[in-house]
Amino acid sequence: MNRKTITLTLAVLVVLGLGLVPQIIKKDNIINLAILVFIYVMMAVSWNFIGGIAGQTNLGHAAFFGLGFLIARMLWTEHRWPLFPCLLLGALVPVGFAMLIGIPAFKLKGAYFAIGTLAMAQILFITVRNLFPMMSFLPGDELAAYSLRPRYYLAFGSTLLTIAAAIWISRSRWGLGMRALREEATAAESLGVNVLGHKLMAFGLSAFFGGLAGGVFAYYAAGYYYFFPFAPTWTFDAVMATYIGGMGTIIGPILGAVFYVVVKEILALRLVEVHLIVFGVLFILIVLFLPGGLVQVWDKIRHLQAPSSRQQAPEPVPCSPDAVLHSGEN
Amino acid sequence: MKRLSVVIAIALIMGLMVASCGPTPTPTTAPPTQPPVQPTQTPVQPTQTPAKPAPEAIEIGASIPLTGKYGSLGVQVKAGYELAVQDINAAGGVYVKEFDQRIPIRLTIYDDESDPTKAVSKLEALYAEQNVVAYLGGAASDMHAATVPIAEKNKVPYCGVAFALWKIHQQGFRYLFSPFPKSPQQAEDTFKILNAAIPEGQRPTKVAIFQETTDWGVELGGLWKENAQKYGYEIVAYETYTPRAESFSDMILRAKNAGAEALLAVPNQPDGIAMVKQMSELGWTPKFMLLIRAPENPAWYEALGPLGDYVTIFPGWSYKVKWPGVEELNQKHQAAYGRPADVLVGPAYTCALVVANAIERAGTLDREAIRDAMAATNLKETPIGPVQFREDGTGIVLNPMVQWQKGQIEVVWPPEHASAPLAYPAPPFDQR
Repeated sequence: MNRKTITLTLAVLVVLGLGLVPQIIKKDNIINLAILVFIYVMMAVSWNFIGGIAGQTNLGHAAFFGLGFLIARMLWTEHRWPLFPCLLLGALVPVGFAMLIGIPAFKLKGAYFAIGTLAMAQILFITVRNLFPMMSFLPGDELAAYSLRPRYYLAFGSTLLTIAAAIWISRSRWGLGMRALREEATAAESLGVNVLGHKLMAFGLSAFFGGLAGGVFAYYAAGYYYFFPFAPTWTFDAVMATYIGGMGTIIGPILGAVFYVVVKEILALRLVEVHLIVFGVLFILIVLFLPGGLVQVWDKIRHLQAPSSRQQAPEPVPCSPDAVLHSGEN
Repeated sequence: MKRLSVVIAIALIMGLMVASCGPTPTPTTAPPTQPPVQPTQTPVQPTQTPAKPAPEAIEIGASIPLTGKYGSLGVQVKAGYELAVQDINAAGGVYVKEFDQRIPIRLTIYDDESDPTKAVSKLEALYAEQNVVAYLGGAASDMHAATVPIAEKNKVPYCGVAFALWKIHQQGFRYLFSPFPKSPQQAEDTFKILNAAIPEGQRPTKVAIFQETTDWGVELGGLWKENAQKYGYEIVAYETYTPRAESFSDMILRAKNAGAEALLAVPNQPDGIAMVKQMSELGWTPKFMLLIRAPENPAWYEALGPLGDYVTIFPGWSYKVKWPGVEELNQKHQAAYGRPADVLVGPAYTCALVVANAIERAGTLDREAIRDAMAATNLKETPIGPVQFREDGTGIVLNPMVQWQKGQIEVVWPPEHASAPLAYPAPPFDQR
């Protein structure tokens, strides 16, 4: 059995195992936590399209999540559309928004792009807060029948879709182009890469799956303000999860999101008074000792076990094309 | 490839770890030390039939914003719950007929960091791991809005304070109870109090409403508008503004030009302070000002000095009200925190009493029976006065009005609880 078969088998087992979780685990707190993990995985993986793979630090990701939430929630709860068209529109509208702001925003570079996208998201946050200040509750019939099981499966399915898109893009010419422009846009352009087109592609994918995560959250949240999902914390959480896991990789944002949600929750339940301090220290330790994120753990272990191989294989840098290629070379 | 498989394996292991490790409860209940300040209703007499073994404790849980933007509210709520549980446990706990004995309460409190999503997780954990028979709520409307549906889903009775938004009660929730004044009461009481406290002919009948574009602002603004005419008042200016607006000049001038004599608003503290400063600069002093929320803490007077005087508030409760038990509560709070009870301590303390009382009357730890007993609550003596609940779970409770007078917050209504009479009309800002 070769490595590819082993990996595929393992992946299928993981998917099947996760698919059986609601049937096996009866405790709603575990199901609820799993839904949050899925949503954060979607947020981190979707941010990674533009921030990790294409190397454009977008600090306005909450705008996509918020738009997805707003559109899906309004259509579903107030206009009583069927859920799936609401989710689809909730994912497509952020893409339109990304294209609209992407063309002018990509004239900015580096920190200016980051500040520009942060400002854009804040403007949207304030505008939506002023336009829709009211709280949104699920309709009475939905509240009465509220169950976490269907929400789990929706979040799980959407997460699989997001990860599949990330794997596809990392193996495609688009992905290669994105990584090339991340390393050196001018050089990439000179080799025939359409820089703006690739940036817009990455931005669009990021917006689509960020919006889809917002739609899933719209289905999950029983009582919530329309404007809360536009809050910058949704951006920073996605960025932090990606940094913790490993930017620019496929697995990194997934690992980071799992770690970010699960460890925070365990600490909050076990160390009520000091949980924020402990998590802060943990985050600093990861940044200090694993600058490439949790995906570096395996490399560290491997190098410890086989010191001689260290001389042959260079230390992988997760943000480099190597790391991305490595993770997507299956 | 190899790394991918290892990482998947790590993810699986992490998943299994999460699934297997339940949260460790963090009981915050202090051991019984003092006699109860407020006994619950007469205990049911022990029966002769043999009772089944009693649990070690009655599990009650709360998710409270102890950090984050609502941290200052959450710590008050936590103090109220903890003082109440201390007092109840000091008396041996709650008598539960089903077990024919008193059982102490174990209160588990989690910090939700002022994040509604985290609050939902905490409530699920309290239900699944601690098997709580009742929830005590956190603070602020958005936190309650996120958590109350979880109580409804889990069919766990929920008692919450520190929110006045009526909309939460209009969703048909069966398990939500809140012994705290809500917008309809606040709106109606405004005009009732004005009519009762000020002789006809001297009343500020021309009213300006500065409505914040938030859910509570919209709700209360509309209710003030509805009630004004009924009680003989005219709305001469109805202005809207967004939170954290820097300039209120236009609306102030429109209200001034319309001859408004009273101002009603629910600003946050920075907006409230800016509003009063700009009113002073523009030379408009309403005879009567009700600014709910902004002036509730000492920072108001520190920022405004005498300009902050004469402003009235509906805080929900005050440590100066004269109900039995308030003095003892103040003493305990003073001993623990170095000051009399904060504004949310009394209502939070009462919430815990309501739950304990309901358990005692239900005579069982069955959640549905406790819910029904809570709905039938008829407590006569609590730090916030008599407590009953309407069909929608809103409390029939006193809504005291307080007023800043010479740098102090005085209770001005109702008269039997007043520490000072209502100061009216307010003198012009430039003459203070």
